[in-house]
Amino acid sequence: MKKVQRIAALFLAAILLSSCSLPGLGSGFNEEGITITGGSTTEQQIVGYIVEGMVEHYIDIDAQIVNNLGSSSLNHQALIGGDANVAAIKYTGTSLTGELGQDPITDPEVALDLVVEGFAAEFDQKWFPTYGFANTYAFMVTQELADQYDLVTISDLEDIASELDAGVDSSWIQRAGDGYDAFLDTYGFDFNRVYPMQIGLVYNALQAGEMDVVLGYSTDGRIKSYDLVVLEDDKQLFPPYDASPVATFEVLEAYPELNEVLTKLKNTISDEKMQELNYISDNNLIEPKVVADDFLKENNYFESIEVNEEGGEQ
Amino acid sequence: MMADMNLWEQLLYYFSENGLYIWSQFFRHFLISIYGVLFAAIVGIPLGFWISRHGKLADWVIGAANVIQTIPSLAMLSILMLGLGLGVNTVISTVFLYSLLPIIKNTYAGVQSVDKNILDSGKGMGMTRWQLTYMVELPLALSIIMAGIRNAMVVGIGVTAIGTFIGAGGLGDIITRGVNVTDGGAIILAGAIPTAFMAVISDLLLGWIEKKLDPTKNKKILS
Repeated sequence: MKKVQRIAALFLAAILLSSCSLPGLGSGFNEEGITITGGSTTEQQIVGYIVEGMVEHYIDIDAQIVNNLGSSSLNHQALIGGDANVAAIKYTGTSLTGELGQDPITDPEVALDLVVEGFAAEFDQKWFPTYGFANTYAFMVTQELADQYDLVTISDLEDIASELDAGVDSSWIQRAGDGYDAFLDTYGFDFNRVYPMQIGLVYNALQAGEMDVVLGYSTDGRIKSYDLVVLEDDKQLFPPYDASPVATFEVLEAYPELNEVLTKLKNTISDEKMQELNYISDNNLIEPKVVADDFLKENNYFESIEVNEEGGEQ
Repeated sequence: MMADMNLWEQLLYYFSENGLYIWSQFFRHFLISIYGVLFAAIVGIPLGFWISRHGKLADWVIGAANVIQTIPSLAMLSILMLGLGLGVNTVISTVFLYSLLPIIKNTYAGVQSVDKNILDSGKGMGMTRWQLTYMVELPLALSIIMAGIRNAMVVGIGVTAIGTFIGAGGLGDIITRGVNVTDGGAIILAGAIPTAFMAVISDLLLGWIEKKLDPTKNKKILS
């Protein structure tokens, strides 16, 4: 009997704790406020803080941010379960094959349409227009080599490829759909040798001259710091990973201004800008929050961008 | 630019560039730990007194608190997350649960250690049960209870560092970021050093309070 009382007391205390908010810690996670999920990579966190900064600038509310949720599926669960209501950044390619369970699609516009429809129908969430950058696999070369052979697209490599050593992500070699085999099929040429390596090392290998061409991520900060050139995927081998914010329709109804705030960010961050922001944070040791705040102040919170009722730009 | 600096220079640079951010996370970390321990004290101290009056229950209650203590903190966070969701309050609940054992156990031990003769003389003076508890047992046991709170606080600061994985913020955010970036040694230290610093400072501070509260060392009472 006494033990039951004790357990009941514990339980009550826990429920009491979970329902109230304590001074100094901001409001708790609840249905009323705006809670934004960031992520664990530098890029995801920077964008998370950009969204937080925008929301707090335009809407009189103390928005919460949740970082370091281990995976994109945990991130998704947070929105489904009501612990959060805005996902600061989702990538079309990841969500199409992940949350929606569909086959990868290489046409960016088709992929975008599919996620917009899929998220509205299945999860009651709005997929916003892209920020303007895509974090996808990309072949890159040094500025020097690009100038020498006038390289712009991957197809431009064809004539000289037999003399080039390529460093690629080790998991890419075996990947179905957009892996090494698909590359050979789509572009119809091969490199002198292909070295599988850890993705974090390819940028240094290229800069040090150990490789002539490498496959890396298109928004990595080191592209900027090492002055590398990203070659355009002219035959659309890699599925698009365009980055967009996503919000639940529920929170958009509660805060109608949020729709405008998130639409304002459309096409405001280019691939190069994201590389630069990642570079500032990773290489110059500036926290993502500081990088994001500086970025927003620099652009005056995009106040000059007008958004019409349908959510498009004017 | 950063490649030319050694780890300590990078660390100093990081502190100077992100000082305000580190401070806000430090404060948040501290508050989360303090709230957890505070709630545990509110529940644990009365519970400790209560079980010392009901000797048979003591084993059960302390046993239960012991069981809670054996659950790994990451597992505890995950279990509580299922019920309470993401965020700060779940971490505070976790700190709360971990703080229960040291606080209950020390309160129990503190009350038990009070000399029965003193209690008898209190009774002889016509003190009520409440007066005995409030005016005799509590002051005499206070320094031992404080030792339990001190213990709980240090454990709580450690648990809060893991709270970053369910979105609570705190210095764990900085440590995790350091692990995720390519060359994040300095960032890891920038999160870990303040965490350790916080634990050491709270331990020293609470140790000092504990000593102040020990009636056998208080000259004013003895003289």
